[in-house]
Parts: sequence; C-alpha cells; structure tokens
Amino acid sequence: MQFLLPHRFKKIGAVIAPVGFFIWLSMQLGYVTRILIFMVGANTAEQYSAAISIATITIAFISFFSFLGGVYFVTFSKEKVEDEMVARTRLDSFQLAALVQLISMIVGFLSMIIIKEPDESGWLLFFIGTIFLFWIFFIGRFNYILHIRIRE
Amino acid sequence: MKNNLKEERTKQQLTQIQLAELVTVSRQTIISIESGRYIPSVLLSLKLAQVLEKKVEILFELEASD
Repeated sequence: MQFLLPHRFKKIGAVIAPVGFFIWLSMQLGYVTRILIFMVGANTAEQYSAAISIATITIAFISFFSFLGGVYFVTFSKEKVEDEMVARTRLDSFQLAALVQLISMIVGFLSMIIIKEPDESGWLLFFIGTIFLFWIFFIGRFNYILHIRIRE
Repeated sequence: MKNNLKEERTKQQLTQIQLAELVTVSRQTIISIESGRYIPSVLLSLKLAQVLEKKVEILFELEASD
C-alpha cells in the first residue's frame, strides 16, 4: 500500500493511543474534573465552573483525537521491513476484522432489539463500539501474527 | 506443501537474518516459510532458490494433499 506512513509513526501511535484513551476514559469517569478542582481549589463562582468545564472539554477533545490519531498511526504504518508476507497478513487481518465487525453488528443489533430496544445514546454507543471493534481487532490480530505467534 | 528451506539454509551456513537480508524480506517471513505457515510467491521462491543455489523444486515440494 502506497499510503502507509513510515515505521516511526507506529511507535508514536503505540504511545499516544493508549495515553489518549485513558485520559479520555478518566474524563468520562469524572477523574479529570476532580484533579482540576484539586489543583486549583474548590470555588462556587460561576466563572470558575465555566473555566473548569472548558478545560475538561478541551482535555476530552485532545485526548479523544490523540486516541484516534494513535489508532490511525498504528494501523497505517509500515513495518520495519515491508514484504509480501506482511502485506498478506495485513490483508487477512483487514478481512477478518471486517467479518468480526459484521457478525458483531448483526448479533448485537438483533439482541438489542429482542432483549430491549435501547435509547439514542445506547444506539450511539453500540455503533461506536462496533466501529472500534474493527480497528482494535485488526491491530491485535496483525501484531499478534507478526510479532507473537512467530516466536511460538 | 513441503519445504526444505531450513535444511538448505543451514547447509549454506546462513542464519535466518542473513537469508532474510539477501532476499530483502523480514526475518518473520523466513520463520513463517520454514514453519510452513506461509507459502511464498513465485518471485520470492525464485529469489530463495537463487541465493541458496538450488532449484525451486528442491526447496519446495508438492505433497499428495496439495
């Protein structure tokens, strides 16, 4: 593939993706807000809470896009040596990830309808989950075949 | 498909890394071919044969199940 990034991007992605994800997750769980309040001290003024909200949203935005960028870097970076086996493994992993995503979408969709139709946020979470399943499965499978199974 | 790559490589006293460098592939590819997990393309098979100074049929043999 000609649009693959140089190998160094894979290392950058491997760092920023998990860091971005954990910061985003911490923000979702409210830890970031608590840390910000702890750092600057509690205050009930309206301006203060607005500043905390802006800071939290900014951190959420940066961390989420760092995660996305990291996933992109890890997925679309060249290996140290790009050859036919690596290209074949990449293609196989893409195909398998697409299949897993499709099955999970069908099973998830049907089970959600049968058990209990979720609200709007439930659907949104479901579709975001299935989109990420593709990328996470691809990254996991590709790197497992190339770097772990090879040693067995 | 049966392959004799490992035997022929060791006869030539080459390591997996050295052979990989000679045919410009990764070491993982040589490991995968030797373990039978990956069947190389015609081009790579010919390169391996050239480097190891053997015919392709000596390196790779069809089995009854193929």
